[in-house]
Amino acid sequence: MFKKLKEKLQGFFKENEEYVKQSVKEPTKIEKKPEEEQIKEQILKQTIEKVQEAEKKQDGLFKGMKKKFGLIKINQKKLNEITEKLEVLLLENNVALEVSDEIKEKIKQEIQDKEISKREFSEKIREIIKQTIKEILVEPFDLIEKIKQYKNQNPDKPFIIVFFGINGSGKTTTIAKIAALLQKNNLSCTLAASDTFRAASIEQLEKHAKNLNLRTIKHDYGADPAAVAFDAIKHAQAHKLDVVLIDTAGRMHTKGDLLREMEKIVRVTKPNLKIFVGESITGNDATEQAKKFNESIEIDAIILSKADIDEKGGTALSVGQITNKPIIYLGTGQNYTDLEPFNKEKLIERLGL
Amino acid sequence: MLKGLGSALKKATDKIAGAIFIDQKLIDSVATDLQRALIQADIDIKLVSELTNKIREAGKSKIKGIEKKEQLIKFLHDEIQALIGKEKQELKLSKKDKILFIGLYGTGKTTTIAKLAKYYKKRGKGVALLGLDVHRPAAPEQLEQLGKQIEVPVFIDKQEKDPIKIYEKLKTQIEKYDLVLIDSAGRAALEKSLITEIKNISKTIKPTHTLLVLAADIGQTAKKQIQTFKESCNINGVIITRMDSSAKAGGALTACAETKAPIYFIGTGEHMQDIETFNPKNFISRILGIGDLETLIEKVKSATDEKKQKQIQKRAEKGELSLLDVVEQSKSLGNMGGLDKIKSLIPGFGAIGNKIPERILDDQEKKVKKWEHIVKSMTPEEIKTPELLEKQTSRISRIAKGSGTTTTEIRSLLKQYKILKDLVKSGKNMSDMADLSQGLSQKQIMKLAKKFGKKKMMRF
Repeated sequence: MFKKLKEKLQGFFKENEEYVKQSVKEPTKIEKKPEEEQIKEQILKQTIEKVQEAEKKQDGLFKGMKKKFGLIKINQKKLNEITEKLEVLLLENNVALEVSDEIKEKIKQEIQDKEISKREFSEKIREIIKQTIKEILVEPFDLIEKIKQYKNQNPDKPFIIVFFGINGSGKTTTIAKIAALLQKNNLSCTLAASDTFRAASIEQLEKHAKNLNLRTIKHDYGADPAAVAFDAIKHAQAHKLDVVLIDTAGRMHTKGDLLREMEKIVRVTKPNLKIFVGESITGNDATEQAKKFNESIEIDAIILSKADIDEKGGTALSVGQITNKPIIYLGTGQNYTDLEPFNKEKLIERLGL
Repeated sequence: MLKGLGSALKKATDKIAGAIFIDQKLIDSVATDLQRALIQADIDIKLVSELTNKIREAGKSKIKGIEKKEQLIKFLHDEIQALIGKEKQELKLSKKDKILFIGLYGTGKTTTIAKLAKYYKKRGKGVALLGLDVHRPAAPEQLEQLGKQIEVPVFIDKQEKDPIKIYEKLKTQIEKYDLVLIDSAGRAALEKSLITEIKNISKTIKPTHTLLVLAADIGQTAKKQIQTFKESCNINGVIITRMDSSAKAGGALTACAETKAPIYFIGTGEHMQDIETFNPKNFISRILGIGDLETLIEKVKSATDEKKQKQIQKRAEKGELSLLDVVEQSKSLGNMGGLDKIKSLIPGFGAIGNKIPERILDDQEKKVKKWEHIVKSMTPEEIKTPELLEKQTSRISRIAKGSGTTTTEIRSLLKQYKILKDLVKSGKNMSDMADLSQGLSQKQIMKLAKKFGKKKMMRF
């Protein structure tokens, strides 16, 4: 994950630097040239070619002046070129359109028609992108720390986490991974098989429980998911278990009834955490999914699964921006240990920002 | 499904059609709008910029006036059609077939297999399911439970961890079936060990078809996944699932067209009947709100029981239509996957359909269930001649008490009874009266849509 986005971003910065280097010698004539075609890749190529062309017949006086001041002013046209190029790059990497619009807007506000020292130009854009990503992503909290704190304050009450998401996003697998993580940190837990709809969902959770030596609280298929969860909580209270992990059926955010069922589960269980499990390969729909779930039950945190399939990583930005909720973990494989804490600073570092 | 893209296309067409002059400015704004809509539909960025450039190019042509408008609109439709694919591709089955299903984790392979088994069973094939997903916990159980639900034999081995050994063991047993649908474990196209596994499975089984199952909400990764799967596993077709989400499916659809991987089916919900064949042309008319009669008729045909329909019709002709028939009729509507599934198929419904909140459509399905209870609380006489109830309203409150419903609900059932009676009557008078068992005729459907729409509109 993020490998692709990083590569692309690096290329983008390099091109900006090139542009600055060349624009130092660039006479203003260039700016008056007729409108170019909109194909983004070509634009840059053409500009560079033109700059090089112009370089040959450059005016010595001009060069001197520019050098003296060391400033360049980014006019609207050039700015559009830069932002459009950045947009394509972001979109190609699964960043949703709304999010890329926000980044674009920020850059425009910051540098349009302003005199910027040429040395700072590339740095400035890099800074803006970095800042925007920082703002988009909420600082993740430490799940284990949070549970331990709660345990100290409420020794008799279990910490309740419910997992939601669309069909096949990896809720059950993620729950198993979280359960393994809790065990590693000496926290006891029980699983609630509240997915009473999908065939063999209960068996799936039970098998995980068996592997991890845990108890699954279950009813039959077709039972009320909220009732199953309620029983699991009672079980945890009776046995003084620290955490209850509630697995729910995958649901489309377009189905009103299923969203209301989910609201009921929340009403009955009063969870300490509502976690949305999303896929990191989802495209523009990621925003729609996260938005609808957030509107319906107000999620507290996000886990992105299948991060090992995709090297793009833009979905993290999309989901983070739209919900304004922290991404706490990334699912990175099929083993119980394939759960990576999401680290904002590290991500920014990994993107080479 | 694909609402955003559909409305953007319509807007673009309207903009062109409504403009007095077609100048560069107009073309530019159309191109920009379209670009955004296509990108939001997850269509590959390169394809999008190609398309918008073509539109800009087409806008420069010298033809004037109305001709140019028409030409532009046609051009637009053709280009979108080219993106999604042109011809309907049918999965051609012979007498004995083995279909291997592969795909990423959680795209709905197992569910799709069960849906297809039901689909082909209805069409007279001897279908069996074979489970070779040895990785995900409870995968064989899932297949087993689904098989039970649709009454199709399932072959699994819960202990064995080697898919090839499972196949060898069960080989002789599955040979007698016409169509064997084979489930495999989810895998990423970039994961070498799992790709080797599927290659070996493929070598041993020698499936007649290998189909890739892809989720509609996949983003810009779609093309790469399809390509890699195509290269490594020799897939010869694609099934797109989760088409009922808000996903625009643009990424999946266009990537298939681009890599020339035919899309055979689309999954449109979590129930067993929620699967459709994919016809790009009809699909486009559907997202544009024009409706898709072909798919609707196919659905009606597969959902309704021919014999029962003939009986209903005969009774109706004799004037013996009873309330049981109404419930039966409404139930088969439910079999088609509920009203929200078929509303986009009905011509002219697109415009009304959007005004009906989803909630109402959900309620409609619940209503039918209540109707069943109502009928059970009636005397045989009342079922046969519901007119009785209108004369003696005390009967209605008795039934309401008995069935745990309200009098309003009973009245809505009576209303439905009248509609069906009228429909059959008017059908009889129509010269081109279609046999009900052959599905509803176009006119009848339009009429039904009108009636249904009106009723709903009145409530709001």
